[in-house]
Amino acid sequence: MQSYVSIENLSKSFGFFTAVDDVSIGIGKGEFFSLLGPSGCGKSTLLRMIAGFETPTSGAVRLDGEEVTDVPAHRRPTNMMFQSYALFPHLTVGKNIAFGLAQDRLARAEIRQRVSDVAEKLQLTALLDRKPQQLSGGQRQRVALARALVKRPKVLLLDEPLGALDKNLRTETQHELVRLQRELGLTFIIVTHDQHEAMTVSSRIAIMRQGKVLQIGSPAEVYETPVSRYVAKFLGEANVFEGGATRRSGNDLAVESAEAGGSVFATAADHVSTNGRFWVSVRPERVELARQGDGLEGVIEQFSYAGSGRHYRVRLKSGATLDALRVNLGAEDDLSVGDTVFASWMPQAARLLAD
Amino acid sequence: MQSKSDLGRRALVLVPYGWLAVFFLMPFLLVLAISLSSVRLGMPPYEPLYAWQGSLLSIRLNLENFIFVVGENTYLLAYLTSLKVAAISTALMLAIAYPLAYGIASCAPQTRSFLIFLVIVPFWSSMLIRVYAWMSILRNDGLFNSLLLNLGIISEPLRIMNTETAIYIGIVYTYLPFMVLPIYANLSASDRTLIEAARDLGCSRLAAFWRVTFPLSLRGVAAGSALVFIPVIGEFVVPDLLGGADTQMIGRTIWMEFFNNRDWPVASAVTVLLLAILVIPIVLFQTRLSRTSK
Repeated sequence: MQSYVSIENLSKSFGFFTAVDDVSIGIGKGEFFSLLGPSGCGKSTLLRMIAGFETPTSGAVRLDGEEVTDVPAHRRPTNMMFQSYALFPHLTVGKNIAFGLAQDRLARAEIRQRVSDVAEKLQLTALLDRKPQQLSGGQRQRVALARALVKRPKVLLLDEPLGALDKNLRTETQHELVRLQRELGLTFIIVTHDQHEAMTVSSRIAIMRQGKVLQIGSPAEVYETPVSRYVAKFLGEANVFEGGATRRSGNDLAVESAEAGGSVFATAADHVSTNGRFWVSVRPERVELARQGDGLEGVIEQFSYAGSGRHYRVRLKSGATLDALRVNLGAEDDLSVGDTVFASWMPQAARLLAD
Repeated sequence: MQSKSDLGRRALVLVPYGWLAVFFLMPFLLVLAISLSSVRLGMPPYEPLYAWQGSLLSIRLNLENFIFVVGENTYLLAYLTSLKVAAISTALMLAIAYPLAYGIASCAPQTRSFLIFLVIVPFWSSMLIRVYAWMSILRNDGLFNSLLLNLGIISEPLRIMNTETAIYIGIVYTYLPFMVLPIYANLSASDRTLIEAARDLGCSRLAAFWRVTFPLSLRGVAAGSALVFIPVIGEFVVPDLLGGADTQMIGRTIWMEFFNNRDWPVASAVTVLLLAILVIPIVLFQTRLSRTSK
């Protein structure tokens, strides 16, 4: 498949510090692609190289088949929505949105038409004569989006676009972004440190750490089949136990784990070697707790009620902790702190990790 | 608690107002009073404004000084010369200070503070001494002329001393830091991502400067211009030491009225009129500024 945005062996060093380390990613046309990672992982630097604000130390960036590695920011068919929004304080909302079009010397009538179209789409029509200082955070965010979208970029780059919004507005805006992206059929690349946000909006996610890409895949792929303990723990919660394989039947594996204090089960992909040290990762919502039966024995040490679910922390006999999440279906809670429970899960609910 | 801290806040605000009242408003009222008096021999060299005759308080306000000053061409000419010199030197300083401030603001933070230090360093010696130094540079047999003569660029010394050119050199040199500092403060506080946003939206470096950096720095430009324009109008030392007899600025006129003619009332009237000329544009400027910032 020919990638629309193609990042080829891209690296960026600042002095002795390597911010982005030999990254290669292919992004298809119309994708909503997330660069996800903790702060300092290089995701923003990568985005800035795509925008043209940073010159790569080595590697190449191609947009729609054309190499743009050395093309300056103002000649690239990309537009960026900045984390701080970077609205021009001396211009009205209307002039902010029209800024890029005026720079391209479009006819006045066309500028007016395009500004009013995008303003209508983003519910900004009533605000066009205001100054940015007179807007709320959510309104500013929409102006920043409008200003970038109005130029009809081939790729829209979003740097932590929702970081400054409160939680409810944030969720709403995430859905709004997805709706817009589908409607316009544009390619979006978003930088975020919020796993939940990345999972909600993206078609695919690249998980980054220390300048490298650890895994690329759809939200379901990276959540269900993480390549490493780091990815498993970074994307949501995970219980991870170290061990060595004992029995294999098909893809199901019984793993003897001293850390868990017994046998735990997991599914391994064919290519994963079952020799040596590895780890079993299981998500809290896949763990079943029962008062008796098979499984790892432990005592409930902590309980927290999270509305949509009940969260238990179990202290296993081995001394390790295990988190379990029961979805709140309205039934009475029959477990409480201090109860002895047995934790188990289906083999296909857990993953075997080699790293 | 609320009212107590409110009281404290008010007291704090009172300090600068009190300062202004004692050291600015009171002297001005004195000058205003003297301008409405008439000259006499003796000490002080002006008639008192009021007198008690038994129980009758008679106040005499003499407007003759103002009528005289307005009617006399010399004063009008001195005002106009001062305005011209102030306007031209403000423009010159702007042309020098803006690139300088821009250059300093785009340096690394440590270099910046060193360069700003260099801008301020001349303040450490007396202005009078520095202007005298310019005399020895600009004289016919001064440093500048001997340099040019020795290099063979000129065959006869340039006459710079006691010309308007010397006044501009002296004023621009003396007041430049007051123009550089507010512009620098403004530019160094400006948001870099705004430039990136402009670049991202299609601006070349130059276009980003004219469409974003420059309009956003206008406040600093305005502050710096006001800071130099106003004192330059009343400037006395530079035109007196470097300028010739043909450039009569208002500061020198006031000096001559006070100390050569010992006509305090007329000198005060000139001063009051100068203040009026200055205050009106400042008030207009301030109201415009506060309106645009709303």
